[in-house]
Amino acid sequence: MANGDTFADAYPTQARHIRAAFWASFLSLGVGAFFGLIQALHRTDILRVIESQTYYTVLTAHGVFLVISFTIFFLVGVFQWAVTDSLERPPVDMRFTWGWYGLMSLGASLTAFAILAGFTDSIDVSADVLFTFYAPLQAHPLFYVGLVVFVVGTWLAGADWFRSWLAWKGDNPGERIPLPTFMVLTTMIMWYISSIGVAVAILAFILPWSLELTGSLNPTLTRTLFWYFGHPVVYFWLLPAYLLWYILLPKLAGGRLFSDPLARVVFILFVLLSTPVGIHHQYLDPGISEGFKFIAMTNTMFLLLPSLLTAFTIIASMEHGARQRGGEGYFNWLTALPWRDPAFTGMALAGMIFAFGGFTGIVNAGMNINYLVHNTLWVPGHIHTQVGTAAALTFMAGAYWLVPQLTGNRLVGRSVALVQVVLWFVGIVFMTNSMYRGGLVGMPRRTAEPQYEGFEYEVAAGSVGELNAQLAVGGTLLFVSAMLFLALMVLTAFNGGTEPIDDGSIPPALSGPEDSPAVLDNLKLWVAIAAVLVVIAYSFPLASIVSRGGLFGPDIGPIPVAIDAASTVARTALEAVAAVVR
Amino acid sequence: MSNVARQDDPASVERIEHDEFDPVGTLALIAFYFAVLVLLWLFTYFVEFLGNVPTPVVVA
Repeated sequence: MANGDTFADAYPTQARHIRAAFWASFLSLGVGAFFGLIQALHRTDILRVIESQTYYTVLTAHGVFLVISFTIFFLVGVFQWAVTDSLERPPVDMRFTWGWYGLMSLGASLTAFAILAGFTDSIDVSADVLFTFYAPLQAHPLFYVGLVVFVVGTWLAGADWFRSWLAWKGDNPGERIPLPTFMVLTTMIMWYISSIGVAVAILAFILPWSLELTGSLNPTLTRTLFWYFGHPVVYFWLLPAYLLWYILLPKLAGGRLFSDPLARVVFILFVLLSTPVGIHHQYLDPGISEGFKFIAMTNTMFLLLPSLLTAFTIIASMEHGARQRGGEGYFNWLTALPWRDPAFTGMALAGMIFAFGGFTGIVNAGMNINYLVHNTLWVPGHIHTQVGTAAALTFMAGAYWLVPQLTGNRLVGRSVALVQVVLWFVGIVFMTNSMYRGGLVGMPRRTAEPQYEGFEYEVAAGSVGELNAQLAVGGTLLFVSAMLFLALMVLTAFNGGTEPIDDGSIPPALSGPEDSPAVLDNLKLWVAIAAVLVVIAYSFPLASIVSRGGLFGPDIGPIPVAIDAASTVARTALEAVAAVVR
Repeated sequence: MSNVARQDDPASVERIEHDEFDPVGTLALIAFYFAVLVLLWLFTYFVEFLGNVPTPVVVA
């Protein structure tokens, strides 16, 4: 990139494409955040604007719009920027690049339609199956078709980046892969390995079943295939945030990345360990042996390593910036960091929340202590500290630096942007504090009305009213923060005739790729090892599940989500229990 | 971006290369983080076990 130019000056066509991806992402953020506000006010019984039956339509929309559409559209934008900027070349064929963006948009639109149609009875389409779409909950086929088209779009995006890299490699034989591109390629390898699971679950079992081509399926099998993808997908949300932390944050802090080789090792560890752990989401699922769950737990604990390496490298890079700015002492250097820069502060706060959320992840991952928090409000607390802040807040903070580079316009309202990221931080602290503590006293997740007659939660400190107030206040602050962010983005897009205050250059790492063995760039080797680990972790459990329940299960029909059906089942069960007790 | 006053980190006072940089502040922060983790684990332990009697041993 020509020094002093913005990305938009150097690559106007690519900048337009990335802007399109970002707008799709931001639109999803706006819609998803609105549904989040409705949920926060509904389940705390502060304001109920919808029927409780409709809560699950809202919940599905909140999940899919935010953790599929918002995150992944942002990811493809950031990855396109990273590849183009670090290889210093546009994609091989822009028509192909626009093609995968079009596929993703089409898929997202189909799925969005299927979900939103659930709000009206005039269209016979709905998808109240939540983000996890566990069978026998069944959505309209459009929901699954949209997801498939969207994922195929992401696969083609990965192919596009590999093509760019191969073209670059032809021109630069023997050179190390530039770090941003290395991060993109390894993340996409992880995505290819893991998304096979959800593709098989949908294409072989769930979609034919929703089209009534098959009469039944095996819920344990489809759940396991979902979680084969469901854990790596959380890293698919997180790794673009990692990319921004490794590539952008050191520069924003006034320093340089501490170690390029360490960053490569971290991303390779994610390739190896992200997938053979999915069963840790199924510790309480019947039909999977304890031994397989134990293996998944062991692999999960190994996964702490890349995150702890990241904590060290990123903090060391920030410290380098602070020392260059004159920072001193063991803790005093923190005051020398550019806390008035919204891009820096947002990412630093996101990292801090991520470090705390990591602890809660260790709790979730522990097989026995998971029983304490399983399916309680603690789990969405964990999700909101990780994807809802580590990823989301990093994306917003990153956008404060990236969008000016992609538009050539100066960011509007820098001080408001600082308020926005701090507001998000405060909101998430309130909301997740309530969620974690509520979870510990047994409040359930995914529940429209978690208050029960003749039953009180035993809150050790504080009260249920206080927990509800914190959740509602936190959720409201997050919504306000999201709207502020979107407003600043729109204003920045129209802020023509100005120029960004920062150039687009990224300083080289203190310890560059030349300090590391070339084997780190041997992508084929890491793919092979990752595949072996997946086979070890999954072949026996899957074989066991299929041998017990068959490929298509013991006559499992779809369940329409209806409150009266649920209450009938509950009443029947209670009557049976009462009869036994009597 | 030629004619614009750029923010090339005006606060930067010195250039520190790899061999001159000893990240002791990082060590201090991470040590603090691990201390917090230990406290959180202790808290979780008490949430889990405080007030709960041991699983009764049923002797036939």
